Amino acid sequence: PAYTDGPDDAVADKVYFIINNLSSTNLDQKARELKGLLSERFYSWLANYVVQRRVSMEANFHNLYLQFIDTLNSAGLNAALLVNTYENLRVLLRSEKIRSSTSERTLLKNLGSWLGLLTIAKNKPLLSKDINLKQLILEAYDHGRLIAVVPFVCKVLDACKVSKIFRPPNPWIVAILALLTELHNLTDLKMNLKFEVVALTKSLGLDVAELKPSALLIDRQVDKSDSSDWTTRDPAPILEPLRPPPGILKPDLSTPLGTQPA
Amino acid sequence: EINLMDELTLKGITQFYAFVEEKQKVHCLNTLFSKLQINQSIIFCNSVTRVELLAKKITELGYSCFYIHAKMRQEDRSRVFHDFRTGACRHLVSSDLFTRGIDIQSVNVVINFDFPKNAETYLHRIGRSGRFGHLGLAINLITYDDRFNLYRIERELGTEIKPIPPVIDKSLYCA
Repeated sequence: PAYTDGPDDAVADKVYFIINNLSSTNLDQKARELKGLLSERFYSWLANYVVQRRVSMEANFHNLYLQFIDTLNSAGLNAALLVNTYENLRVLLRSEKIRSSTSERTLLKNLGSWLGLLTIAKNKPLLSKDINLKQLILEAYDHGRLIAVVPFVCKVLDACKVSKIFRPPNPWIVAILALLTELHNLTDLKMNLKFEVVALTKSLGLDVAELKPSALLIDRQVDKSDSSDWTTRDPAPILEPLRPPPGILKPDLSTPLGTQPA
Repeated sequence: EINLMDELTLKGITQFYAFVEEKQKVHCLNTLFSKLQINQSIIFCNSVTRVELLAKKITELGYSCFYIHAKMRQEDRSRVFHDFRTGACRHLVSSDLFTRGIDIQSVNVVINFDFPKNAETYLHRIGRSGRFGHLGLAINLITYDDRFNLYRIERELGTEIKPIPPVIDKSLYCA
């Protein structure tokens, strides 16, 4: 891809220096420095660096990087960032590691919030040719990847709270929320995944109990045995009155205190 | 958060030293800022005066930092620390203000601009509360006079501080 074409090391070091030192108080100055340093033909390299090395790991500075990019005000850079975000997301979503590794899932979540900020928060749609969230959930349901996909989707959609367009009754968001509600209502879905859905709906000022669930999962057969998406169903506990284990004698309360029982 | 637990650990922290002369320290810091991948960093000095001097010096070099030390009013200290935590600034120059380790998740690089005199101080600067297991990088600028302290602290803490390699693997401190 084009982004392997980067500037020479000395320039790259200066770019790293700028980004290491970026803060909300020096955005304009740093943007000017960067513009003087890096010609636009390296912007896809820059986009790749920002997405892969910064945004995916530094969720705490998403807004800062977004402001920085707005200050740079380059259509080419904005486009390159989006392309890179999707590219990295596709790699992560395809990876087997997201089922087992929490740090991979953290990267996925961070890129999810970032994607939401780049698109939904700016009232720009997620095109289904780039990413199809509903399809993603259905496939994750089939293949035991909900553990990664549900938190990811919830992070993306969290940006809806600042969007004018992408909130109910927008049919796109309503349809995804209906599917998430259906998932949430499944009794044996892992607690933390249910919680993701509750947290998202709450963040959007909705109540999951009042949302209308879809009926897309009912007919799907899924093997829940070898998956971390579901709580393992224990056999129903047998309720018995508590009895002291054998060998322990009940204290004889009839004996006065201080005297030895017979 | 100021860690009130008695358990501080160096687990997950990769420690390096750079052997420098006093007058090379700022230049060395400058190099670190262009070679490392820093989310947030804390830079420790051994005295209040040196904290202020360094903060002034590095502001001139073109990066923004806050400073914090024991001679400041409590309310100013709280404000600086709070703003740093919320990400208003990337770097904090600090004296040995805190009696316990500072555990801020986004701080992935700690730099001992001045090397501490004893192991306890070192541990409190670098150490984290172990159960969270965040990765981190600790860089010590060592002068000729610090060489015995370095050896002693390594021994007392049962840890190894290696010379800094030309390239530091990002997976060691970027989670």
